Amino acid sequence: MDRKLEKGRSSGRGDYRTLLIVAAFIFLVPAWSRMIPGEVLHMDIVNVMVFAGIYACVVIGLNLLVGYGGQISLGHAAFFGIGAYTTAILCTRFAWFPTWLGALSGVLLAGLIGWLVGVPVLRLKGNYLAMATLGLGEIAFILFTQLKGLTGGTIGIPQGLNVSVSEIPPLSVFGFKFDSDIKFFFLAWAIVMLLMLLNINIIRSRVGRGLRALHSSEIAADAMGVNTSRYKTQVFVLSAMFAALGGALFAHFQRYINPESFVFSVSILFITMVVVGGMGNLWGGIVGVIVLTFLPSVIQAMPQWIPGIPASLTNFSNYSLVLYGLLLIVFMMFMPQGIAAGLSRASAFTGRRAKRLRDRIQARKYEGH
Amino acid sequence: MGRTDRKQKMLLLGSAVFFCVVVVATLIFKGSTGFQWIMSGLTVGSIYALIAMGFSVIYSSTHVINFAQGEFSMLGGMLMYTLSTRGGVPPLLGFLLAVLMVTALGAGLERATIHPLRDQSVITVIIVTIGISIFLRALAKWIWGTDPVKIASFSGDSPVRFLGAAVVPQSFWVFGFAILAVILVFLFFNRTLMGKGMRAAANNADAASLVGISTSTSSLVAWTIASGLGAAAGIVIAPISFASYSVGTMLGLKGFSSAILGGLGSAPGAVVGGLVLGVLETITAGVFPSGYKDAVAFLILILVLLVRPQGLLGKPEDVKV
Repeated sequence: MDRKLEKGRSSGRGDYRTLLIVAAFIFLVPAWSRMIPGEVLHMDIVNVMVFAGIYACVVIGLNLLVGYGGQISLGHAAFFGIGAYTTAILCTRFAWFPTWLGALSGVLLAGLIGWLVGVPVLRLKGNYLAMATLGLGEIAFILFTQLKGLTGGTIGIPQGLNVSVSEIPPLSVFGFKFDSDIKFFFLAWAIVMLLMLLNINIIRSRVGRGLRALHSSEIAADAMGVNTSRYKTQVFVLSAMFAALGGALFAHFQRYINPESFVFSVSILFITMVVVGGMGNLWGGIVGVIVLTFLPSVIQAMPQWIPGIPASLTNFSNYSLVLYGLLLIVFMMFMPQGIAAGLSRASAFTGRRAKRLRDRIQARKYEGH
Repeated sequence: MGRTDRKQKMLLLGSAVFFCVVVVATLIFKGSTGFQWIMSGLTVGSIYALIAMGFSVIYSSTHVINFAQGEFSMLGGMLMYTLSTRGGVPPLLGFLLAVLMVTALGAGLERATIHPLRDQSVITVIIVTIGISIFLRALAKWIWGTDPVKIASFSGDSPVRFLGAAVVPQSFWVFGFAILAVILVFLFFNRTLMGKGMRAAANNADAASLVGISTSTSSLVAWTIASGLGAAAGIVIAPISFASYSVGTMLGLKGFSSAILGGLGSAPGAVVGGLVLGVLETITAGVFPSGYKDAVAFLILILVLLVRPQGLLGKPEDVKV
């Protein structure tokens, strides 16, 4: 018993150590990416990493919902959009409005809407949430385009609105403006690391244990006194708030928004990121986000690296959905644990191989004697 | 046996109530805009009913919500466009060919992707159906492009006067095919050994496989029926509303809302749910700006899940460990 406890604790410490390593690796990205000349790279790594950080906020929460709550959301683009639109509307209408308060309002509003949808739907066993959120995503998109006076319709904010500012103001805290790629890079990834810390603590808490019990058998967990629907609702609301935080960052980084960024395929992109990275794997979200955010840039840069690749292949938006669909099917069928689990398996495998090789060399040494 | 009796009684009761409502509404609104709305509402409602039955059949046999259900309708409509509008095949032959092609695709997809995952968790299979759905949609966008296409009606476009309302002839084709499909599905599940076995498997999969009913075959048959129903729905509605690569999502969402409204897993429920949703939606489109029409299905979905999760004709779900 004691040893088990000890083991549990040390594996937890392992998570914190991995977090430090991942953070160190990511925060060093600007340093090493500057060393590679632009003619070789053909992409702005820091800029892509900012978007990866923004999407990571959404995907970390979604992974918690899918991997631990056992529920799918097909409407996280809606929460992402609610976060973006709330702060964009507040901060362009009222020039005095603090940007951090705008972001906070978006997060709270998304949490409230998530709660209103989650309470009736997650009271039930089964996978009704997927359809309910699919509907929510469609409705949110209809509202973003139809409520022209508030959202600027298809043109978006701020161009579609009759406001004095020409762009959404940059995020500023205590007078410090995050108005460049590099500043925003550190902000976004610092937030991601905080969310990861929160994530690790949630998984190790009472709620996390309840969710794990729920994932293996919901009815058994119910019978053991785990309030399954409350835990599921809490995780759903939390994931909605993470998504809205990502949306608020998105609005303040890109400085303009329109409904195109919150369409159905964006919700699918988020789910694909979770699945490709690894459902229920703590690091899966970040791995999936980085892989899929870099994919379009890599494909676009391809003709520069390898001459002879037809230009039609580089128009990623032409076939992004075919690819996402295939990735979902193939990963679920052949690699349901995702890349993150594959990575850790591969490192364990190479570790074993290396050990065997060492042993063999050792043995040969003895044989030689 | 007792449950079958009750179900049939419910079916009779449901359809009786519904016909009474329709007859009363007809007498009150005869020839007015209201009646016009009810007629077009029943037309789209029949389509939702067929799609909802597809959802229910697959849900009963595998407990999976099939996200690709709407895409079968989309594919049906687009294949019909290729066969009949572009290829000059006569409408009824085109209908049969398109349904056959989509049905073969549905069965093939089940064998290729769902069958290998039969021992996996439901959420895994649902994610695969999501993958199938967006894959089919993106493929259709590639093949047919983004422009909506018009498909010729089966028998002309000049409206017919029916009880004082102007009704397009295609509406009668929709009603005809919907009634035929409902009768065929009803006969299959009540008069054939296979269908009865599938109902037993839906009720208690373990007990059914103990007495020799193959759950793997039921899953295949369920996907075949669901894809056929979806394709038929997509083809007959295509001449009224345009067909395009993107109609699948909305049709799927509406069909699912209908299935929930009627009771997921109940075939009569699917019919009642579809017709009610169709009428409510058309009335909403008449009263409010039409941009909000699509929100009705979602509101109904949430309300039903809140107030009566087993739906109008469904039974409360058993809880089994």
